[in-house]
Amino acid sequence: MADAFLAHDIPVLVQGATGRSGRSQTAQMVAYGTNIVAGVSRRDDPEVKIPLFKTCAEAVRETGAKASVVFVPPLDVLAAINEAIEAGIELIVTVAEGMPVHDALKAKTATREAGVRWVGASTPGLAIPGKMKMGFLPNVSLSPGGLGVMSKSGTLSYEVCYRLVERGFGQTLWVGVGGDSVKGTRFADVIPFFAADPATTGIVIVGEIGGSEEEELADALIASRCTKPVFALLAGRSALEGVTMGHAGALISANIGTIETKTAALRKVGAQVLPSIKALVEAVSTTLAP
Amino acid sequence: MMLLEHHAKELLAQVGVPVPEGILVTDSKAAHFAFPCIAKAQVPVGGRGKAGGILKINTVADAQPIIERILGLTIRHHPVRACRLEALVDESAEAYFSLAFDADTGTIRILMAAEGGVDIESPEMRAKLLQVSAAPTEDAAQAAVETLLPSLPPAMRAAMREAAVRLIPLFFAREAVLIEINPLFILADGGWIAGDAKIITDDNALPRQPELRALIELYPTLYPEAALKLAQGFDFVRLDPDGDIGLVTTGAGLSMQLVDEIIQRGHRPFNFCDIRTGGFKGDPSRLIQVLKWVASGPKVRSILMNFFAGNTDLAELVPLILQALEAVPQLRQPITLRMTGNGLDAARKILAASGNPIHVETDLERAVDRALADAKESQNG
Repeated sequence: MADAFLAHDIPVLVQGATGRSGRSQTAQMVAYGTNIVAGVSRRDDPEVKIPLFKTCAEAVRETGAKASVVFVPPLDVLAAINEAIEAGIELIVTVAEGMPVHDALKAKTATREAGVRWVGASTPGLAIPGKMKMGFLPNVSLSPGGLGVMSKSGTLSYEVCYRLVERGFGQTLWVGVGGDSVKGTRFADVIPFFAADPATTGIVIVGEIGGSEEEELADALIASRCTKPVFALLAGRSALEGVTMGHAGALISANIGTIETKTAALRKVGAQVLPSIKALVEAVSTTLAP
Repeated sequence: MMLLEHHAKELLAQVGVPVPEGILVTDSKAAHFAFPCIAKAQVPVGGRGKAGGILKINTVADAQPIIERILGLTIRHHPVRACRLEALVDESAEAYFSLAFDADTGTIRILMAAEGGVDIESPEMRAKLLQVSAAPTEDAAQAAVETLLPSLPPAMRAAMREAAVRLIPLFFAREAVLIEINPLFILADGGWIAGDAKIITDDNALPRQPELRALIELYPTLYPEAALKLAQGFDFVRLDPDGDIGLVTTGAGLSMQLVDEIIQRGHRPFNFCDIRTGGFKGDPSRLIQVLKWVASGPKVRSILMNFFAGNTDLAELVPLILQALEAVPQLRQPITLRMTGNGLDAARKILAASGNPIHVETDLERAVDRALADAKESQNG
């Protein structure tokens, strides 16, 4: 099913493949099994072991890459996305922390108009465990299994999945949608894939305060007639109003995006909203078979 | 970041938005202004009036005690560090205008209402809001405004059009996330004035917004979190001055969740922290800074460190922790270090060789149990 969201053998290029982070993350994605076919960078790097090209267009032409994972600095992400769209890339994953929200808005418009799926602005990426990953979801938290996972927070989802894997629960597909307010792929966008996929037996949502994604997700569960068990953890119950708690999207203002509104919306459609990581792991363990 | 009202109004005044005359005061003795006036607490939250943070000053003799009273308040966890003294606005109609993102559709949402004021969040008031979405460009937003104007009382239309002409370019130029003018006073002569102003800007855009950067650098005590992020690249929020648990943690979501769970268990985290180990690059100074801050919490009785090394290496992290602890000898509270992930065995060996008595757990639940038990014990003892 994961293949309905992205093909596990989709040819991937890496934008920003040179330099410390791009180089090491590329090597790790290759080691995990991702079909990395090309790197794109303005400069040469003899230590990069994949074919390097100066532009996305050239890389796509020479290698047939269909997806891109982008490792460039935050203020350069928009230009990289535009370049990928121009080159005919179908799926773009951006990982840099700190993409300006007005850039994200332009990227959202551009990807939507081009019919390109964008996972970002800032996410640890996505993975079909055991087969491929785009980005840097940690291997210790990845394992093939039956959970569909979506997360706004990298670290919290690493911890949750690490503990679920310890208990024998792996994932069909894990999509880090990111903690930004304006983003390419929202929780609700992934629900139809989880709902339709026979291998996905339960859905884990790692959400947090701010925005209205959890509320939309509740509507999407109804719209896609999804009756699979849904387990949600919502961080930020005790966040201070008016202060950004690490993530740009995690800003509560005027009673929008509070834990109360999200909890109520999710519970209304039968989702379990758990108060702690431990409670979520227990709820999954007692509801599903590993 | 939410700008304080005073700075939001300064930004508005620069683009020709009429605002009441006002000054910022951080000290009750330095208040030279024309009275009567209004004194308004400068905190980034609503409900200031109900919290006693907005008071009228009638005479110069009243000024000092009233300002002192406001500066002594804490409103929704925000200590009031500054006050805006503002000229009174004549009794006039209160309208509403805002520009914001619709994050779902990737559009700009424009809201207007002929009636604004503090009750704008109420269902009755919300039902009267006129709204329209536009593609995220200045031209599209201006055109969308024109479609709403005919639904407003004729006497308000010119003022609201003028507001849009001023505010829409500002929204794009300063990369705002929200601009809300509520109330927007409509004067008897058809003129207008921004009664209150709420502007949220994008921290991620600061590298290319020198004016906003300068504001934070000028007022680091009024924007402590943004100033820290700007200067040092990580997040630290003081949550509770009487907190008993100091947190040295990485990752925004996991750190928020830890704060939530510690509160659920009847303890009080002193701080929120997303230290971002990825940004250490072999330098312990971030750790030293955070350890100094948590050590300074007068009631902090236990420190919990949490590092899930999914992509980093604990063997590189632990030597930095040891260096940092050495640099902060005033930190006497017991420390629980939860670490798991890459390089765990090597990290354990480094710790053992150092002889540091720091307590290590690999399981987060056990680490939290231990840190809370330490806090309780030192309180009883």
